[in-house]
Amino acid sequence: MSVLRAAAMRVVGLFVGDWVQSAVVLVIIAAAWSTFARFGPLALVLLVTLLAGQLVWFARVEGRRAKPFR
Amino acid sequence: MGQELFIFGAAFLGSAVEATEALTIVLAVGLTRGWRAPLLGTLAAVLSLAVLVVLFGQLIVTRVPESALKLVVGTLLLLFGLRWLHKAVLRSAGVVAMHDEEHAYRQTVSQLGSAAAGRDWVGFVLALKGVFLEGLEVVFIVIAVGGAENQLPLATAGGVAAAIAVGAAGLAIRKPLARVPENTLKYAVGIILTSLGTFWAAEGMGAEWPLDFVSILGLVAVYVLASRLAVMLIRRPAIA
Repeated sequence: MSVLRAAAMRVVGLFVGDWVQSAVVLVIIAAAWSTFARFGPLALVLLVTLLAGQLVWFARVEGRRAKPFR
Repeated sequence: MGQELFIFGAAFLGSAVEATEALTIVLAVGLTRGWRAPLLGTLAAVLSLAVLVVLFGQLIVTRVPESALKLVVGTLLLLFGLRWLHKAVLRSAGVVAMHDEEHAYRQTVSQLGSAAAGRDWVGFVLALKGVFLEGLEVVFIVIAVGGAENQLPLATAGGVAAAIAVGAAGLAIRKPLARVPENTLKYAVGIILTSLGTFWAAEGMGAEWPLDFVSILGLVAVYVLASRLAVMLIRRPAIA
């Protein structure tokens, strides 16, 4: 039973490290999807820029929040 | 050919990282309690993982329409790759500790006692659980990387080749593979999976990338730059 529980937790953990970051990524994808028909290639540029931007943003947030481990 | 190589390479590298972590657990159990039970546990885990790949792989490839498959798999790959990349950035910047196989090995050994006579269920379950849980990530990588472009056999070959290579190395040296640059590998795989995820998610939305699959190299460049920028912004000086 503990193997199954650990497996379920592991499956969720595959995709979600930080719930807020995962939600932001999903919102970016949904926004790109809904604007793609209207803006075409510009939506692609926006998608990639926002995804790269959130990577930097969330790393900075965690960098400020985390205590030194040494 | 480039696309096939990319898919094989992504499956191989991603699986190699997880296989290295699984090997550490099996070695810790085997060298402490004897080999029979952990090897049987490993075999049971590998068979269960193979069933998952065949079952879900075939189901996804044959039942889900291509555009929906690309959107869903791309989004999941993106979330998965970004999680690895985020952790790799924090490790590179010195915000969190590097993963250390020697340390993981010592920790597992310290939790184990010597085996009692007869069947060693503890050794069996520990190896089964360790290999199965690490292997779940391999199953996802293989199905996602192979499924979106209908290249499941190629991705499976990459995963199996990685498991064989890591297993053979572990058998040869009988120590944790501490010299495998696991953090660098995880960084590289994070970049590759994030790029593939972005590519397929956008294709699933109906987008057409300029130069088709070659534009993945552009995505790789963007994510390398973004991650290096993140490392630069949060880097902490090493304490002597």
